[in-house]
Amino acid sequence: MIVVQNLIDAISLGSVYALAALGIGLIFSIMRLINFAHGELIMVGGFVIYALAGNPMLVMALSAIIVVTILALGMERLAFRPLRKASPPTLLIASFAVSYFVQHVILMIFGSRPMGVDFLSVLGESFEFAGLRVPRLQCIAIVVTLALMVGLVVFFRASRIGVQMRAAAEDFTMARLLGVKADRVIAVAFALSGILASFVSLYLVAQTGTVSYKMGVNMVLIAFVASVIGGMGSLTGAALGGFIVGIVSVSLQAYLPEELRPYRDAFVFLLFIAFLLWRPQGLLVRRASERV
Amino acid sequence: MLAIEKLQVNYGSITALRGVDITVAKGEIVAVIGPNGAGKSTLLLTIAGVVKAKAGSVKFDSRPILGLAPEKLAASGLALVPEGRHIFGSLSVAENIALGATPRSDRDGIAADTDKVLGMFPVLRDRYRQRAGNLSGGEQQMLAIGRALLSRPKLLLLDEPSLGLAPLIVKQVYDAIYALREQGLTVLVVEQSVNRALNAADRAYVMSGGAIAMVGRSSELQGTAEFDAAYFGAGQRDPGRSPA
Ligand SMILES: Nc1ncnc2c1ncn2[C@@H]1O[C@H](COP(=O)(O)OP(=O)(O)OP(=O)(O)O)[C@@H](O)[C@H]1O
Ligand SMILES: [Mg+2]
Repeated sequence: MIVVQNLIDAISLGSVYALAALGIGLIFSIMRLINFAHGELIMVGGFVIYALAGNPMLVMALSAIIVVTILALGMERLAFRPLRKASPPTLLIASFAVSYFVQHVILMIFGSRPMGVDFLSVLGESFEFAGLRVPRLQCIAIVVTLALMVGLVVFFRASRIGVQMRAAAEDFTMARLLGVKADRVIAVAFALSGILASFVSLYLVAQTGTVSYKMGVNMVLIAFVASVIGGMGSLTGAALGGFIVGIVSVSLQAYLPEELRPYRDAFVFLLFIAFLLWRPQGLLVRRASERV
Repeated sequence: MLAIEKLQVNYGSITALRGVDITVAKGEIVAVIGPNGAGKSTLLLTIAGVVKAKAGSVKFDSRPILGLAPEKLAASGLALVPEGRHIFGSLSVAENIALGATPRSDRDGIAADTDKVLGMFPVLRDRYRQRAGNLSGGEQQMLAIGRALLSRPKLLLLDEPSLGLAPLIVKQVYDAIYALREQGLTVLVVEQSVNRALNAADRAYVMSGGAIAMVGRSSELQGTAEFDAAYFGAGQRDPGRSPA
């Protein structure tokens, strides 16, 4: 029984990591940018919920989704579009700059102390199911993640812009030669990454009941690890990597000796380094795309 | 249709094109031939907006186009089939073809043109739902050309369409090009293979070391000593053969 319980924990945590990793992987696959500011999208979503505390849940959630999506589009327009032709290292550094900038704006407005928020706290309750105590939030996280993933798959397979984005991810120049608008596919990628980030915000705030200007940092690191494990540039890989990191984290939490548990994340990163030595290109990598 | 004047392109300190003049009239098939590194691909990539020019001008339909983005040019009727084909290997044949129609929104027209392309290259119909990465080299070349045609281009730029293909497939590809010419398409084709290009084209430019060494009607160029000298890099110029 405890194994099944742990499995539910692992899948629900993994699904949230997968959402965060998909946000990172999506931007990377289109423009070879590792967007560390993705964590700040997640964090700002948290603060939108905090600022709207007391409003109906739906208003808080929808506002978070909308504000984070607009912020993602704003980052692209103001910071990353002018650097479109820059090298990947330059882009990476720019994303750190954006990340620190947003953190410090929030720090100036709200201060550095974590603050409590009452958001979806009813979901913290568990229900009994076949002898298991399942927290509702975990079930919802799994269901919502699966729904978002199915939505993404349909979007990338069935919509014109989705197919254009897959083409652009494989060979950006060739896609442009066929008339695919560079600005448009990149903007849509950022909008999608914003939507994904906002769902991670909803989960984090509901789960922890707090917001802080640093709340996105750990999540973005884990998302980065997950997308590297899956293979940078592969969205399926990013999702898979998220689930793997979730399962590993929960297993460590459950099976590490008591006194080592506080250092769970250190073990996660240690295993990650070992993984990189074994398979530096990730699990599901495609060939590096040839460019015109 | 296309008028290129004094086009100069550098890659860092390397000069790839040093003042190239080329004209292509509507309905013409014009070939650019030249040895490795002559600058042929650079020429096509510059026309298509991928590579930035240092100096000179390119006019397409009497409109200056240097500096325009590739997607803008695609929407205005220019299509490039680049060297190496650049098929989207993880996408299906159907998706590759559909991407060619990106600038268009006339569903019925797109469906009709898709059917036409599949009629032209029946292998693609057989493999319509398969991953394009699994196609053979020849099939990929057909896909690349078919995909380019779906934008209904006024001017088609082809970079070494016969490279690495079996003779039978080369013939099939060139038959397709002839058929398109009958339908009034204008083509600028780059080749290393001299005979094929001269047979297919109305006129040909010989390019060497980033400059035009010679130009004339294909029938006049074939087999002349000046042509051999120009192609093999002696750099002999013959202003008497410049186009009118
Ligand atoms: N991206 C690049 N960066 C630097 N130099 C380049 C680049 N692309 C081409 N060159 C150089 O520019 C010159 C022209 O190259 P280009 O590819 O246009 O020749 P080509 O005629 O198409 O040759 P091939 O027949 O081999 O395709 C060559 O000297 C080549 O080395
Ligand atoms: Mg070439």
